[in-house]
Amino acid sequence: MTTDQRPWTAFYGPAVRKDIDAPRYPTLGDMVAAVAHQYAAKTAFTCCLPNGMNGSLSFAQADEMSDALAVYLREVCGLAQGDRVALQAPNGLSYPVAAFAVLKAGCILVNVNPLYTAEEMARVFADAEPKALIVVDMFADKVREATKGHPIPNIIVTQVAEFLPAAPRGIVRLVQRHWDRSLPPVDFPHIRLPAAIAAGRRARASVAVEEYRAQLTPDDVAVLQYTGGTTGVAKAAMLTHRNLLVNMEQTMEMIEGVEPGAEVALTALPLYHIFAFTVNLMGFWWLGARNVLIPNPRPLSNLKRAFENYRITWMSGVNTLFNGLAQELWFRDTPPRHLKFASAGGMALQTAVAERWVEVTGKPVLEGYGMTETSPVLTFNPLNRVRPGSIGIPVPGTDLRCVDDEGREVALGEPGELAARGPQVMAGFWRRPEETAKVMRDGWLLTGDIGVRDADGYFRIVDRKKDMIIVSGFKVYPNEVEDCIALHPGVAEVGVIGVPDGATGEAVEAHVVLRDPALSAEELRNHCKAHLTAYKVPKRVVVRDALPRSNVGKILRKDIRAEALAGKG
Amino acid sequence: MVGPLEQAILAAMIFVIMLGMGASLTPRDFVLAFRRPYGLLIGLVSQYGFMPLIGFGLASILPVPPVVAIGILIISCMPGGTTSNMFTYFSKGNLALSLLMTVNSTLFGVLLIPLLLVLYAGALEVDIPRENVIVTLVLLLVPVAIGMGLRKMNANVGAVAEFGGSALGLFFILFLVVSWIPRNWGFLMETGWATYAASIGLGVIGMAIGYGFARALRLHPRNARTISLETGIQNGPLAIAIIAFTWPADEAQAVMAVPVLYSLFIVIVSTAVTLIFRRANLAAEQKLPDGLL
Repeated sequence: MTTDQRPWTAFYGPAVRKDIDAPRYPTLGDMVAAVAHQYAAKTAFTCCLPNGMNGSLSFAQADEMSDALAVYLREVCGLAQGDRVALQAPNGLSYPVAAFAVLKAGCILVNVNPLYTAEEMARVFADAEPKALIVVDMFADKVREATKGHPIPNIIVTQVAEFLPAAPRGIVRLVQRHWDRSLPPVDFPHIRLPAAIAAGRRARASVAVEEYRAQLTPDDVAVLQYTGGTTGVAKAAMLTHRNLLVNMEQTMEMIEGVEPGAEVALTALPLYHIFAFTVNLMGFWWLGARNVLIPNPRPLSNLKRAFENYRITWMSGVNTLFNGLAQELWFRDTPPRHLKFASAGGMALQTAVAERWVEVTGKPVLEGYGMTETSPVLTFNPLNRVRPGSIGIPVPGTDLRCVDDEGREVALGEPGELAARGPQVMAGFWRRPEETAKVMRDGWLLTGDIGVRDADGYFRIVDRKKDMIIVSGFKVYPNEVEDCIALHPGVAEVGVIGVPDGATGEAVEAHVVLRDPALSAEELRNHCKAHLTAYKVPKRVVVRDALPRSNVGKILRKDIRAEALAGKG
Repeated sequence: MVGPLEQAILAAMIFVIMLGMGASLTPRDFVLAFRRPYGLLIGLVSQYGFMPLIGFGLASILPVPPVVAIGILIISCMPGGTTSNMFTYFSKGNLALSLLMTVNSTLFGVLLIPLLLVLYAGALEVDIPRENVIVTLVLLLVPVAIGMGLRKMNANVGAVAEFGGSALGLFFILFLVVSWIPRNWGFLMETGWATYAASIGLGVIGMAIGYGFARALRLHPRNARTISLETGIQNGPLAIAIIAFTWPADEAQAVMAVPVLYSLFIVIVSTAVTLIFRRANLAAEQKLPDGLL
């Protein structure tokens, strides 16, 4: 590849390789073990509860415990290489131990959102056919129902306060059991996580854990990551060891100014989400950082103690998190002093939110872009060369271009569907070649996002291809209208959709949650008129109490549209 | 009679309760409070403006003997109790605001409580040993400071102390039931309805006025619920400790009557109010997304 085709490499920092194709380690398990050896007694993970109760694991501890659990999975449960193990746990000390163990055992990790309903869980179990499940006790009530049709032979139960010191753990259990009543009975055969680790330690004498991963190649599948599973068929992206390791390196290289072994990272995003999995879990581990895990960031005041007690230097989040924090009084009054910067992904970062964040913390939010199918990061804004509103430049070794419906690259500055090629692009969808064929064209992955590239190679997302609204033949991208409405101080949240319209084909409709209850629809329309071309101004403004959201907080336009259409029909 | 053993137990309990309160705090909380003096002011007005006034009103209107009147005055001048934080939690109020109000009222109490007591006692023509009250209040800040130190040293120890303190706040009620009530059974039977009316009325009226005040200032219902509970719930153990350490043993029993009865009834009153608030909250609650974020 020449610089001609990748003009963006001129904007890489001095330490960034122009191309990354092969990872430094053959498998994720090798990376975990090598890093643990390097940082040994240093604190790797700290789980911080809302009241400040906490527990920590060192690099060596997390490594040893995951070794033991890997042995348990292979020797005691009798799992084979390539068997799937589902992990359904919120952020906590058991998550990294379990995830590392599955990867070290040569099994395939299936990340399952703990908040899935029994029905959604059942769909995932039917599709992935896991031989083992590691699940947090709070959601045990759904397990029996979800495993009815597809029994899982080995179930390991963990708890939110796992591996915390005895006194705080006891208090947490007491409160959960008797005050919150959030611990349903575990009425199926199971083993507790500490008991499984102990059993693994006993069996360890006769086996070498390294042998499990010695059989693997970098192109073996490491993780099944479900995507778009809220409706329709559950489909999982097959992410290989190479995909994930390369993407971790690609992303971490782009992030300048970090000091290996000296960073303290805040992980408020759930680790089962691919962005947090690759960047926070794997990337921070690789960096030798202390990773502060937040089991439940809602309400946002749950983060207060973590910011008080730890010298947070780096955090990653989504638009919703940055927007929320920038509005919390305690956060505004005492913003984190040691923060170097924050990175945003998972969904579009609204310009108004990014500006508010800088105003509060004095530090930038670096926006990146990616998707589950690309492990996930494709582009990132380099520090000090951030372009507001841009998703940045492709990470090393990645090709990105804007194409038309026929797959031809469009002229520079013209909007087109983003197509990506690189070592982080998934191996395909699990057992769904027809779905894979729909998104892969001549080695390029079609993202479904409309983007624009400038001459320097910075990209900007215009919108989701399928969310585009056509008003009298003019293309309107909901993001642009949402950004404009979000700038109004009286608006808390906004989602913009297209609805059928007799006169114009489609019409722009804005659904808003107001911060200022006195704000009228007419005032909002006037605000839009001052900033947008006439055809982009919402024809209707619908005031609502809340907007439908996905599990990671994305506002779901398709649900708004469905509700709007149902309301009219 | 309050025997030396009971005095010691009482002192130990109040020490742990205040330690727990301290452990729930960080210096940052004070920074926050002083940056937003509006909230602080509302808390102080309801705690030291309304409550003593209600207490004074009850003591003047109700036909109670002077010793009981002193008790009414003392309990009404107390800062917010730690149990208010627990009820705020259960009524889905603003926990941070509740903690802050409790702490601020405790801090300012050192200055304001003796002042208010002297002022209202003068108006009621009863006598209060104000130097002793000041000494007791200052001494109480010691465990608060130790608690804050614990929290700073080790977050886990701090959180356990915080939990222990609020749990003991409830256990304290049990202590009253087994130690004070049997010995004062005769007094409880003899005393007029007015003593009971004052004990129950103080909390109920305090909560009603606190809520009305907060709503009048157009505060969010969540904050209004918090202020309501915070205003109505006083630091009962503190009142009893002050009386036990200040008054001669034979007088202390009668002075303690309303603070003890208040401490018992406030649990019932707060539970009822919490249930009402919870229902109101359920109706008004906006639908939050199911996800973790």
